[in-house]
Amino acid sequence: MSTMTLPSLRMTGHGFRTLLSTQARLTMRDIPVVAAGIGLPILLLLIFGNIPSFTEPHADLGGRTTLDAFVPTLTMMSAMVLACTGLPTFIGELRERGALRRLSASPVPAAGVLAAQLIVIVAIAAVVGALVVAIATLGFDAAAPKHLATAVAAGVLGSAAVLGLGLLIAGVAGNAGAAAGMGIPVLIANFFSGGLYAPVEKMPHVLQTIVGYVPFGAVVETWSGIGTTWIHLSVLAVCTVLASLLAIRFFRWE
Amino acid sequence: MAIIEVSDLTKRYGDQVALNGVSFSVEEGEIFGILGPNGAGKTTTVECVSGLRTPDGGRVRVSGLDPRAGRDELRQFLGVQLQESGLPPKLTVREALRLYASFYRDPADPGILLTQWGLEAKAGTRYGKLSGGQQQRLAIALAMVGNPRIVVLDELTTGLDPAARRAAWDLIEQIRDAGVTVVLVTHFMEEAERLCDRLALIDTGRVVAVDTPAGLTARAGAPQRMRFRPSEPVEEEELLALPEVTDVTRQGRHLELSGTENLVQAVTALLARRQIIAADLRVEQTTLDDAYLALTKSDPVK
Repeated sequence: MSTMTLPSLRMTGHGFRTLLSTQARLTMRDIPVVAAGIGLPILLLLIFGNIPSFTEPHADLGGRTTLDAFVPTLTMMSAMVLACTGLPTFIGELRERGALRRLSASPVPAAGVLAAQLIVIVAIAAVVGALVVAIATLGFDAAAPKHLATAVAAGVLGSAAVLGLGLLIAGVAGNAGAAAGMGIPVLIANFFSGGLYAPVEKMPHVLQTIVGYVPFGAVVETWSGIGTTWIHLSVLAVCTVLASLLAIRFFRWE
Repeated sequence: MAIIEVSDLTKRYGDQVALNGVSFSVEEGEIFGILGPNGAGKTTTVECVSGLRTPDGGRVRVSGLDPRAGRDELRQFLGVQLQESGLPPKLTVREALRLYASFYRDPADPGILLTQWGLEAKAGTRYGKLSGGQQQRLAIALAMVGNPRIVVLDELTTGLDPAARRAAWDLIEQIRDAGVTVVLVTHFMEEAERLCDRLALIDTGRVVAVDTPAGLTARAGAPQRMRFRPSEPVEEEELLALPEVTDVTRQGRHLELSGTENLVQAVTALLARRQIIAADLRVEQTTLDDAYLALTKSDPVK
Protein backbone atom coordinates (compact mmCIF):
# COMPACT_ATOMS: atom_id res chain seq x y z
CA MET A 1 0.00 0.00 0.00
CA SER A 2 1.57 3.25 -1.04
CA THR A 3 -1.29 5.65 -0.61
CA MET A 4 -3.10 6.64 2.50
CA THR A 5 -6.68 5.56 2.95
CA LEU A 6 -8.83 7.42 5.39
CA PRO A 7 -10.00 5.50 8.43
CA SER A 8 -13.32 4.27 7.20
CA LEU A 9 -16.60 3.57 8.87
CA ARG A 10 -15.64 -0.03 9.57
CA MET A 11 -14.10 1.23 12.77
CA THR A 12 -16.65 1.16 15.54
CA GLY A 13 -16.98 4.14 17.87
CA HIS A 14 -15.95 1.93 20.76
CA GLY A 15 -12.92 0.71 18.80
CA PHE A 16 -11.79 4.23 17.98
CA ARG A 17 -12.21 5.45 21.55
CA THR A 18 -10.15 2.54 22.84
CA LEU A 19 -7.54 3.25 20.19
CA LEU A 20 -7.50 6.92 21.16
CA SER A 21 -6.99 6.22 24.86
CA THR A 22 -4.33 3.63 24.03
CA GLN A 23 -2.46 6.12 21.85
CA ALA A 24 -2.71 8.76 24.57
CA ARG A 25 -1.29 6.33 27.13
CA LEU A 26 1.51 5.22 24.83
CA THR A 27 2.42 8.85 24.11
CA MET A 28 2.58 9.66 27.81
CA ARG A 29 4.88 6.61 28.30
CA ASP A 30 7.33 8.04 25.79
CA ILE A 31 9.52 9.87 28.26
CA PRO A 32 11.67 11.92 25.82
CA VAL A 33 8.53 13.12 24.02
CA VAL A 34 6.82 14.06 27.28
CA ALA A 35 9.96 15.82 28.54
CA ALA A 36 10.57 17.82 25.35
CA GLY A 37 6.98 18.31 24.27
CA ILE A 38 5.32 19.08 27.60
CA GLY A 39 8.01 19.67 30.21
CA LEU A 40 10.46 21.82 28.25
CA PRO A 41 8.19 24.73 27.17
CA ILE A 42 6.78 25.05 30.69
CA LEU A 43 10.21 24.76 32.31
CA LEU A 44 11.69 27.37 29.94
CA LEU A 45 8.78 29.70 30.66
CA LEU A 46 9.30 29.36 34.41
CA ILE A 47 13.04 30.05 34.00
CA PHE A 48 12.57 33.02 31.64
CA GLY A 49 9.80 34.44 33.82
CA ASN A 50 12.13 34.44 36.79
CA ILE A 51 15.01 36.24 35.05
CA PRO A 52 14.52 39.88 36.16
CA SER A 53 15.89 41.47 32.95
CA PHE A 54 13.50 39.36 30.85
CA THR A 55 10.46 41.09 32.28
CA GLU A 56 11.68 44.65 31.61
CA PRO A 57 10.52 46.50 28.47
CA HIS A 58 13.20 46.94 25.80
CA ALA A 59 13.37 49.71 23.22
CA ASP A 60 14.75 47.34 20.56
CA LEU A 61 11.78 45.01 21.15
CA GLY A 62 9.39 47.88 20.53
CA GLY A 63 8.73 48.38 24.22
CA ARG A 64 7.97 44.70 24.79
CA THR A 65 9.81 42.54 27.28
CA THR A 66 12.14 39.66 26.31
CA LEU A 67 9.57 37.31 27.86
CA ASP A 68 6.87 38.78 25.58
CA ALA A 69 9.06 37.93 22.60
CA PHE A 70 9.51 34.36 23.81
CA VAL A 71 5.85 33.63 24.60
CA PRO A 72 4.77 32.74 21.04
CA THR A 73 7.86 30.55 20.63
CA LEU A 74 7.17 28.66 23.85
CA THR A 75 3.45 28.41 23.07
CA MET A 76 4.15 26.66 19.79
CA MET A 77 7.00 24.56 21.08
CA SER A 78 4.88 21.58 22.11
CA ALA A 79 3.20 21.30 18.70
CA MET A 80 6.58 21.63 17.03
CA VAL A 81 8.32 18.94 19.10
CA LEU A 82 5.41 16.49 18.99
CA ALA A 83 4.88 16.92 15.26
CA CYS A 84 8.47 16.88 14.08
CA THR A 85 10.00 14.29 16.38
CA GLY A 86 7.29 12.53 18.41
CA LEU A 87 5.00 11.65 15.50
CA PRO A 88 7.66 10.50 13.00
CA THR A 89 9.57 8.39 15.53
CA PHE A 90 6.33 6.86 16.81
CA ILE A 91 5.10 5.92 13.34
CA GLY A 92 8.63 4.82 12.35
CA GLU A 93 8.80 2.54 15.36
CA LEU A 94 5.40 1.01 14.61
CA ARG A 95 6.41 0.41 11.02
CA GLU A 96 9.77 -1.03 12.00
CA ARG A 97 8.21 -3.47 14.43
CA GLY A 98 5.48 -4.56 12.05
CA ALA A 99 2.78 -3.10 14.29
CA LEU A 100 1.22 -1.29 11.32
CA ARG A 101 1.22 -4.59 9.42
CA ARG A 102 -0.46 -6.32 12.35
CA LEU A 103 -3.12 -3.60 12.50
CA SER A 104 -3.85 -3.78 8.80
CA ALA A 105 -4.93 -7.41 9.38
CA SER A 106 -7.47 -6.29 11.98
CA PRO A 107 -10.77 -4.49 11.34
CA VAL A 108 -8.99 -1.20 12.11
CA PRO A 109 -6.98 0.25 9.26
CA ALA A 110 -3.49 1.46 10.06
CA ALA A 111 -4.73 4.94 9.13
CA GLY A 112 -6.87 4.73 12.25
CA VAL A 113 -3.75 4.75 14.41
CA LEU A 114 -2.41 7.72 12.53
CA ALA A 115 -5.68 9.60 13.01
CA ALA A 116 -5.75 8.73 16.72
CA GLN A 117 -2.13 9.80 17.14
CA LEU A 118 -2.80 13.13 15.38
CA ILE A 119 -5.75 13.81 17.68
CA VAL A 120 -3.61 13.03 20.75
CA ILE A 121 -0.84 15.37 19.56
CA VAL A 122 -3.24 18.19 18.74
CA ALA A 123 -4.87 17.83 22.16
CA ILE A 124 -1.56 17.84 24.04
CA ALA A 125 -0.22 20.78 21.98
CA ALA A 126 -3.41 22.77 22.56
CA VAL A 127 -3.37 22.17 26.32
CA VAL A 128 0.35 22.95 26.67
CA GLY A 129 0.02 26.03 24.42
CA ALA A 130 -2.93 27.34 26.44
CA LEU A 131 -1.09 26.61 29.67
CA VAL A 132 1.99 28.54 28.51
CA VAL A 133 -0.13 31.57 27.53
CA ALA A 134 -2.03 31.41 30.82
CA ILE A 135 1.08 31.12 33.00
CA ALA A 136 2.89 33.85 31.02
CA THR A 137 0.07 36.38 31.11
CA LEU A 138 -1.35 35.63 34.55
CA GLY A 139 1.84 34.60 36.34
CA PHE A 140 4.48 36.78 34.72
CA ASP A 141 2.44 39.70 33.34
CA ALA A 142 3.40 39.01 29.74
CA ALA A 143 1.51 41.04 27.16
CA ALA A 144 -1.39 39.30 25.43
CA PRO A 145 -1.08 39.19 21.63
CA LYS A 146 -2.18 42.47 20.02
CA HIS A 147 -4.62 40.79 17.67
CA LEU A 148 -5.94 37.75 19.46
CA ALA A 149 -7.86 36.31 16.49
CA THR A 150 -4.85 36.60 14.18
CA ALA A 151 -2.58 35.04 16.79
CA VAL A 152 -4.97 32.13 17.28
CA ALA A 153 -5.29 31.70 13.52
CA ALA A 154 -1.51 31.67 13.21
CA GLY A 155 -1.26 29.16 16.05
CA VAL A 156 -3.82 26.81 14.50
CA LEU A 157 -2.40 27.13 10.99
CA GLY A 158 1.13 26.83 12.33
CA SER A 159 0.26 23.60 14.16
CA ALA A 160 -1.35 22.25 11.01
CA ALA A 161 1.77 23.15 9.01
CA VAL A 162 4.20 21.44 11.39
CA LEU A 163 1.91 18.40 11.65
CA GLY A 164 1.97 18.23 7.85
CA LEU A 165 5.77 18.32 7.94
CA GLY A 166 5.79 15.67 10.67
CA LEU A 167 3.48 13.43 8.64
CA LEU A 168 5.69 13.83 5.61
CA ILE A 169 8.75 12.80 7.64
CA ALA A 170 6.78 9.93 9.21
CA GLY A 171 5.71 8.81 5.76
CA VAL A 172 9.08 8.74 4.07
CA ALA A 173 11.45 7.80 6.92
CA GLY A 174 11.90 4.03 6.89
CA ASN A 175 12.39 3.56 10.62
CA ALA A 176 12.48 5.39 13.92
CA GLY A 177 16.19 6.28 13.59
CA ALA A 178 15.77 7.78 10.14
CA ALA A 179 12.67 9.62 11.34
CA ALA A 180 14.62 11.23 14.18
CA GLY A 181 17.45 12.04 11.78
CA MET A 182 15.06 13.90 9.49
CA GLY A 183 12.92 15.42 12.20
CA ILE A 184 15.64 17.05 14.28
CA PRO A 185 17.08 19.36 11.55
CA VAL A 186 13.53 20.46 10.71
CA LEU A 187 12.95 21.06 14.40
CA ILE A 188 16.14 23.11 14.81
CA ALA A 189 15.48 25.20 11.67
CA ASN A 190 12.02 25.99 12.99
CA PHE A 191 13.27 26.75 16.49
CA PHE A 192 15.84 29.13 15.07
CA SER A 193 13.21 30.80 12.89
CA GLY A 194 10.87 31.00 15.83
CA GLY A 195 13.42 32.90 17.86
CA LEU A 196 14.23 30.30 20.48
CA TYR A 197 17.95 30.99 20.14
CA ALA A 198 17.61 34.74 19.61
CA PRO A 199 14.32 36.65 19.49
CA VAL A 200 13.15 37.35 15.94
CA GLU A 201 12.93 41.08 16.74
CA LYS A 202 16.70 41.16 17.27
CA MET A 203 17.48 39.47 13.95
CA PRO A 204 18.73 41.52 10.98
CA HIS A 205 15.91 42.61 8.69
CA VAL A 206 16.90 40.22 5.86
CA LEU A 207 16.94 37.28 8.25
CA GLN A 208 13.55 38.32 9.63
CA THR A 209 12.17 38.17 6.11
CA ILE A 210 13.70 34.74 5.51
CA VAL A 211 12.49 33.17 8.77
CA GLY A 212 9.02 34.53 7.96
CA TYR A 213 8.84 31.80 5.30
CA VAL A 214 9.55 29.02 7.81
CA PRO A 215 6.36 27.87 9.58
CA PHE A 216 7.55 28.58 13.10
CA GLY A 217 8.97 31.97 12.11
CA ALA A 218 5.72 32.88 10.36
CA VAL A 219 3.70 32.12 13.52
CA VAL A 220 5.99 34.11 15.80
CA GLU A 221 6.16 37.09 13.42
CA THR A 222 2.36 37.14 13.08
CA TRP A 223 2.01 37.05 16.84
CA SER A 224 4.62 39.77 17.39
CA GLY A 225 3.37 41.92 14.51
CA ILE A 226 6.52 41.67 12.37
CA GLY A 227 6.12 41.69 8.58
CA THR A 228 2.85 41.23 6.73
CA THR A 229 0.24 39.08 8.44
CA TRP A 230 -1.52 37.82 5.31
CA ILE A 231 1.80 36.66 3.84
CA HIS A 232 2.61 34.74 7.01
CA LEU A 233 -0.79 33.08 7.11
CA SER A 234 -0.50 32.23 3.40
CA VAL A 235 2.94 30.68 4.04
CA LEU A 236 1.41 28.50 6.75
CA ALA A 237 -1.59 27.51 4.63
CA VAL A 238 0.60 26.64 1.63
CA CYS A 239 2.99 24.68 3.85
CA THR A 240 0.08 22.71 5.38
CA VAL A 241 -1.46 21.83 2.03
CA LEU A 242 1.84 21.01 0.33
CA ALA A 243 3.24 18.91 3.17
CA SER A 244 -0.06 17.03 3.57
CA LEU A 245 -0.34 16.30 -0.15
CA LEU A 246 3.26 15.07 -0.25
CA ALA A 247 2.65 13.01 2.89
CA ILE A 248 -0.40 11.36 1.33
CA ARG A 249 1.53 10.73 -1.87
CA PHE A 250 4.60 9.22 -0.22
CA PHE A 251 3.24 7.63 2.92
CA ARG A 252 4.41 4.03 3.31
CA TRP A 253 2.69 1.67 5.71
CA GLU A 254 5.30 -1.07 5.43
CA MET B 1 -17.81 -27.79 2.37
CA ALA B 2 -14.71 -25.82 1.50
CA ILE B 3 -14.37 -22.64 3.57
CA ILE B 4 -11.37 -21.40 1.57
CA GLU B 5 -11.08 -21.88 -2.17
CA VAL B 6 -8.00 -20.75 -4.06
CA SER B 7 -7.72 -21.28 -7.79
CA ASP B 8 -4.99 -20.33 -10.25
CA LEU B 9 -3.53 -17.68 -7.99
CA THR B 10 -0.69 -15.71 -9.57
CA LYS B 11 1.45 -12.93 -8.16
CA ARG B 12 4.70 -11.37 -9.29
CA TYR B 13 6.94 -8.79 -7.62
CA GLY B 14 8.74 -7.09 -10.48
CA ASP B 15 10.56 -9.84 -12.39
CA GLN B 16 10.14 -12.29 -9.54
CA VAL B 17 7.27 -14.75 -9.95
CA ALA B 18 6.01 -15.44 -6.44
CA LEU B 19 2.91 -17.49 -7.26
CA ASN B 20 2.43 -19.35 -10.50
CA GLY B 21 -1.06 -20.83 -10.50
CA VAL B 22 -1.66 -21.91 -6.92
CA SER B 23 -4.88 -23.85 -6.28
CA PHE B 24 -6.19 -25.64 -3.20
CA SER B 25 -9.20 -25.68 -0.94
CA VAL B 26 -9.51 -25.84 2.82
CA GLU B 27 -12.37 -27.69 4.50
CA GLU B 28 -14.17 -26.20 7.46
CA GLY B 29 -12.75 -27.36 10.81
CA GLU B 30 -9.47 -28.81 9.61
CA ILE B 31 -5.86 -27.83 10.21
CA PHE B 32 -4.55 -27.18 6.73
CA GLY B 33 -0.81 -26.93 6.38
CA ILE B 34 1.08 -24.93 3.80
CA LEU B 35 4.53 -26.41 3.56
CA GLY B 36 7.48 -25.52 1.37
CA PRO B 37 11.03 -24.21 1.19
CA ASN B 38 11.87 -20.58 1.95
CA GLY B 39 10.75 -18.29 -0.83
CA ALA B 40 8.30 -20.85 -2.20
CA GLY B 41 5.38 -18.43 -1.94
CA LYS B 42 3.79 -19.61 1.31
CA THR B 43 3.48 -16.18 2.91
CA THR B 44 2.29 -14.54 -0.31
CA THR B 45 -0.41 -17.21 -0.56
CA VAL B 46 -1.76 -16.61 2.93
CA GLU B 47 -1.48 -12.84 2.47
CA CYS B 48 -3.74 -13.14 -0.59
CA VAL B 49 -6.16 -15.32 1.41
CA SER B 50 -6.17 -12.77 4.25
CA GLY B 51 -6.78 -9.83 1.91
CA LEU B 52 -3.46 -8.21 2.73
CA ARG B 53 -2.21 -8.51 -0.82
CA THR B 54 -3.97 -8.29 -4.16
CA PRO B 55 -3.18 -11.21 -6.44
CA ASP B 56 -2.36 -10.50 -10.09
CA GLY B 57 -4.64 -13.29 -11.24
CA GLY B 58 -6.78 -16.16 -10.06
CA ARG B 59 -9.62 -16.39 -7.65
CA VAL B 60 -9.78 -16.55 -3.87
CA ARG B 61 -12.98 -17.10 -1.90
CA VAL B 62 -13.05 -17.20 1.87
CA SER B 63 -16.45 -18.28 3.12
CA GLY B 64 -17.77 -17.07 -0.23
CA LEU B 65 -16.13 -13.62 0.06
CA ASP B 66 -13.50 -12.02 -2.12
CA PRO B 67 -10.81 -11.10 0.44
CA ARG B 68 -10.17 -7.67 -1.16
CA ALA B 69 -13.69 -6.55 -1.96
CA GLY B 70 -15.13 -8.16 1.17
CA ARG B 71 -12.24 -7.03 3.33
CA ASP B 72 -14.26 -5.42 6.10
CA GLU B 73 -16.53 -8.42 6.51
CA LEU B 74 -13.61 -10.88 6.24
CA ARG B 75 -11.70 -9.14 9.05
CA GLN B 76 -14.52 -9.96 11.43
CA PHE B 77 -14.19 -13.74 11.11
CA LEU B 78 -10.60 -14.27 9.98
CA GLY B 79 -7.87 -13.97 12.60
CA VAL B 80 -4.22 -13.79 11.62
CA GLN B 81 -0.81 -14.14 13.14
CA LEU B 82 1.74 -12.79 10.71
CA GLN B 83 5.46 -13.04 10.36
CA GLU B 84 7.36 -9.86 11.16
CA SER B 85 4.45 -8.22 12.83
CA GLY B 86 4.47 -6.91 16.35
CA LEU B 87 3.02 -4.41 18.73
CA PRO B 88 4.20 -1.11 20.19
CA PRO B 89 6.86 -2.10 22.76
CA LYS B 90 5.28 -0.03 25.52
CA LEU B 91 1.83 -1.58 25.20
CA THR B 92 1.04 -4.11 27.94
CA VAL B 93 -0.38 -7.56 27.24
CA ARG B 94 -3.77 -6.69 28.77
CA GLU B 95 -3.97 -3.38 26.89
CA ALA B 96 -3.16 -5.11 23.61
CA LEU B 97 -5.93 -7.67 24.09
CA ARG B 98 -8.45 -5.03 25.18
CA LEU B 99 -7.51 -2.78 22.27
CA TYR B 100 -7.87 -5.51 19.66
CA ALA B 101 -11.05 -6.83 21.32
CA SER B 102 -12.60 -3.37 20.91
CA PHE B 103 -12.17 -3.60 17.11
CA TYR B 104 -14.50 -6.59 16.70
CA ARG B 105 -18.26 -6.88 16.69
CA ASP B 106 -18.33 -10.00 18.82
CA PRO B 107 -14.99 -10.25 20.62
CA ALA B 108 -13.75 -12.91 23.01
CA ASP B 109 -13.27 -11.88 26.64
CA PRO B 110 -9.67 -10.63 27.03
CA GLY B 111 -9.59 -12.02 30.59
CA ILE B 112 -10.46 -15.52 29.40
CA LEU B 113 -7.87 -15.31 26.60
CA LEU B 114 -5.22 -14.32 29.15
CA THR B 115 -5.92 -17.48 31.15
CA GLN B 116 -6.29 -19.70 28.10
CA TRP B 117 -2.94 -18.71 26.66
CA GLY B 118 -1.07 -18.68 29.96
CA LEU B 119 -0.49 -14.92 29.97
CA GLU B 120 -2.20 -14.01 33.25
CA ALA B 121 1.08 -13.49 35.08
CA LYS B 122 2.27 -11.24 32.24
CA ALA B 123 -0.94 -9.21 31.85
CA GLY B 124 0.71 -6.00 33.07
CA THR B 125 4.01 -6.58 31.27
CA ARG B 126 4.93 -4.45 28.27
CA TYR B 127 5.19 -6.19 24.92
CA GLY B 128 8.86 -5.24 24.55
CA LYS B 129 9.70 -7.07 27.79
CA LEU B 130 8.10 -10.39 26.82
CA SER B 131 10.12 -13.44 25.78
CA GLY B 132 9.81 -14.74 22.22
CA GLY B 133 7.48 -17.52 23.37
CA GLN B 134 5.27 -15.09 25.28
CA GLN B 135 5.10 -12.76 22.29
CA GLN B 136 4.05 -15.69 20.12
CA ARG B 137 1.36 -16.72 22.62
CA LEU B 138 0.08 -13.15 22.62
CA ALA B 139 0.10 -13.18 18.81
CA ILE B 140 -2.13 -16.30 18.82
CA ALA B 141 -4.37 -14.81 21.50
CA LEU B 142 -4.74 -11.66 19.35
CA ALA B 143 -5.54 -13.81 16.30
CA MET B 144 -8.31 -15.39 18.41
CA VAL B 145 -9.64 -12.19 20.02
CA GLY B 146 -12.32 -11.59 17.38
CA ASN B 147 -13.81 -15.09 17.88
CA PRO B 148 -12.77 -16.00 14.33
CA ARG B 149 -14.04 -18.95 12.28
CA ILE B 150 -10.68 -19.15 10.50
CA VAL B 151 -7.18 -18.41 11.78
CA VAL B 152 -4.08 -18.04 9.65
CA LEU B 153 -0.85 -18.77 11.49
CA ASP B 154 2.30 -17.92 9.53
CA GLU B 155 5.46 -19.66 10.82
CA LEU B 156 4.13 -19.52 14.30
CA THR B 157 6.85 -21.64 15.89
CA THR B 158 9.89 -20.31 14.03
CA GLY B 159 12.30 -18.99 16.63
CA LEU B 160 10.73 -20.88 19.52
CA ASP B 161 12.68 -23.35 21.64
CA PRO B 162 11.53 -27.01 21.48
CA ALA B 163 9.50 -26.80 24.70
CA ALA B 164 7.70 -23.64 23.60
CA ARG B 165 7.11 -25.19 20.18
CA ARG B 166 5.40 -28.24 21.70
CA ALA B 167 3.30 -25.96 23.90
CA ALA B 168 2.27 -24.01 20.78
CA TRP B 169 1.23 -27.26 19.09
CA ASP B 170 -1.09 -28.09 21.96
CA LEU B 171 -2.61 -24.63 21.65
CA ILE B 172 -3.20 -25.06 17.92
CA GLU B 173 -4.95 -28.36 18.56
CA GLN B 174 -7.11 -26.59 21.14
CA ILE B 175 -8.11 -24.05 18.50
CA ARG B 176 -9.12 -26.79 16.07
CA ASP B 177 -11.01 -28.62 18.79
CA ALA B 178 -13.03 -25.44 19.33
CA GLY B 179 -14.20 -25.80 15.71
CA VAL B 180 -11.98 -23.14 14.16
CA THR B 181 -10.41 -23.78 10.77
CA VAL B 182 -6.63 -23.35 10.95
CA VAL B 183 -4.33 -22.49 8.06
CA LEU B 184 -0.80 -23.19 9.25
CA VAL B 185 2.26 -22.08 7.30
CA THR B 186 5.35 -23.98 8.35
CA HIS B 187 8.63 -25.39 7.21
CA PHE B 188 8.94 -27.85 10.09
CA MET B 189 8.11 -31.39 8.94
CA GLU B 190 7.53 -32.63 12.45
CA GLU B 191 5.02 -29.86 13.03
CA ALA B 192 3.20 -30.56 9.77
CA GLU B 193 3.10 -34.29 10.45
CA ARG B 194 1.84 -33.87 13.98
CA LEU B 195 -0.77 -31.14 13.43
CA CYS B 196 -2.08 -31.03 9.90
CA ASP B 197 -5.09 -32.90 8.63
CA ARG B 198 -4.06 -32.05 5.10
CA LEU B 199 -1.10 -30.29 3.54
CA ALA B 200 -0.37 -28.30 0.42
CA LEU B 201 3.25 -28.59 -0.57
CA ILE B 202 4.32 -25.42 -2.39
CA ASP B 203 7.54 -25.06 -4.33
CA THR B 204 8.64 -22.12 -6.54
CA GLY B 205 5.14 -20.67 -6.66
CA ARG B 206 3.31 -23.90 -7.52
CA VAL B 207 1.38 -26.47 -5.53
CA VAL B 208 3.33 -29.70 -5.90
CA ALA B 209 0.90 -31.87 -3.95
CA VAL B 210 -2.15 -31.62 -1.68
CA ASP B 211 -2.66 -34.64 0.55
CA THR B 212 -2.72 -35.93 4.12
CA PRO B 213 0.73 -36.19 5.75
CA ALA B 214 0.52 -40.00 5.40
CA GLY B 215 -0.57 -39.70 1.78
CA LEU B 216 2.35 -37.41 0.98
CA THR B 217 4.76 -39.77 2.69
CA ALA B 218 3.47 -42.68 0.62
CA ARG B 219 4.21 -40.76 -2.56
CA ALA B 220 7.89 -40.70 -1.77
CA GLY B 221 8.07 -44.43 -2.57
CA ALA B 222 8.56 -47.52 -0.45
CA PRO B 223 7.38 -46.86 3.11
CA GLN B 224 9.98 -49.15 4.75
CA ARG B 225 13.59 -50.03 4.18
CA MET B 226 15.75 -52.48 6.12
CA ARG B 227 19.38 -53.41 6.09
CA PHE B 228 21.05 -56.36 7.83
CA ARG B 229 23.85 -58.93 7.69
CA PRO B 230 22.41 -62.50 7.56
CA SER B 231 24.26 -65.10 9.64
CA GLU B 232 23.77 -67.60 6.76
CA PRO B 233 23.48 -66.86 3.02
CA VAL B 234 19.93 -66.10 1.84
CA GLU B 235 18.74 -66.33 -1.74
CA GLU B 236 17.54 -63.02 -3.15
CA GLU B 237 14.79 -64.83 -5.08
CA GLU B 238 13.42 -66.22 -1.87
CA LEU B 239 13.17 -62.74 -0.37
CA LEU B 240 11.64 -61.26 -3.52
CA ALA B 241 9.02 -64.01 -3.45
CA LEU B 242 7.57 -62.35 -0.35
CA PRO B 243 4.76 -60.00 -1.44
CA GLU B 244 5.99 -57.37 1.02
CA VAL B 245 9.42 -57.08 -0.62
CA THR B 246 9.78 -54.86 -3.66
CA ASP B 247 13.53 -54.58 -3.99
CA VAL B 248 16.68 -56.34 -2.76
CA THR B 249 20.26 -55.17 -3.18
CA ARG B 250 23.37 -56.86 -1.90
CA GLN B 251 26.21 -54.76 -0.50
CA GLY B 252 29.07 -57.05 0.44
CA ARG B 253 27.75 -59.16 3.28
CA HIS B 254 24.83 -56.84 3.85
CA LEU B 255 21.39 -56.98 2.32
CA GLU B 256 19.26 -53.91 1.71
CA LEU B 257 15.55 -54.41 1.24
CA SER B 258 12.69 -52.07 0.58
CA GLY B 259 9.00 -52.76 0.57
CA THR B 260 5.56 -52.15 2.08
CA GLU B 261 4.89 -51.15 5.68
CA ASN B 262 4.84 -54.84 6.75
CA LEU B 263 8.30 -55.48 5.28
CA VAL B 264 10.11 -55.98 8.56
CA GLN B 265 7.61 -58.48 10.00
CA ALA B 266 7.51 -60.58 6.81
CA VAL B 267 11.30 -60.73 6.44
CA THR B 268 12.05 -61.44 10.09
CA ALA B 269 9.43 -64.25 10.05
CA LEU B 270 11.11 -65.83 7.05
CA LEU B 271 14.56 -65.55 8.64
CA ALA B 272 13.25 -67.08 11.88
CA ARG B 273 11.87 -70.08 10.00
CA ARG B 274 15.32 -70.59 8.48
CA GLN B 275 16.98 -69.99 11.84
CA ILE B 276 19.01 -67.19 10.31
CA ILE B 277 19.97 -64.26 12.51
CA ALA B 278 19.74 -60.73 11.12
CA ALA B 279 22.80 -58.97 12.54
CA ASP B 280 23.31 -55.16 12.43
CA LEU B 281 19.60 -54.77 11.69
CA ARG B 282 18.54 -51.24 10.81
CA VAL B 283 15.02 -50.22 9.87
CA GLU B 284 14.17 -46.94 8.21
CA GLN B 285 10.73 -45.47 7.88
CA THR B 286 10.05 -43.09 5.02
CA THR B 287 9.16 -39.75 6.59
CA LEU B 288 7.49 -36.60 5.47
CA ASP B 289 11.03 -35.25 5.17
CA ASP B 290 11.76 -37.78 2.42
CA ALA B 291 8.51 -36.89 0.69
CA TYR B 292 9.27 -33.21 0.98
CA LEU B 293 12.73 -33.59 -0.50
CA ALA B 294 11.52 -35.90 -3.26
CA LEU B 295 8.64 -33.63 -4.20
CA THR B 296 10.36 -30.26 -3.99
CA LYS B 297 13.62 -31.56 -5.47
CA SER B 298 15.34 -28.86 -3.50
CA ASP B 299 19.04 -28.67 -4.07
CA PRO B 300 20.83 -28.77 -0.72
CA VAL B 301 23.95 -27.14 -2.25
CA LYS B 302 22.06 -23.99 -3.12
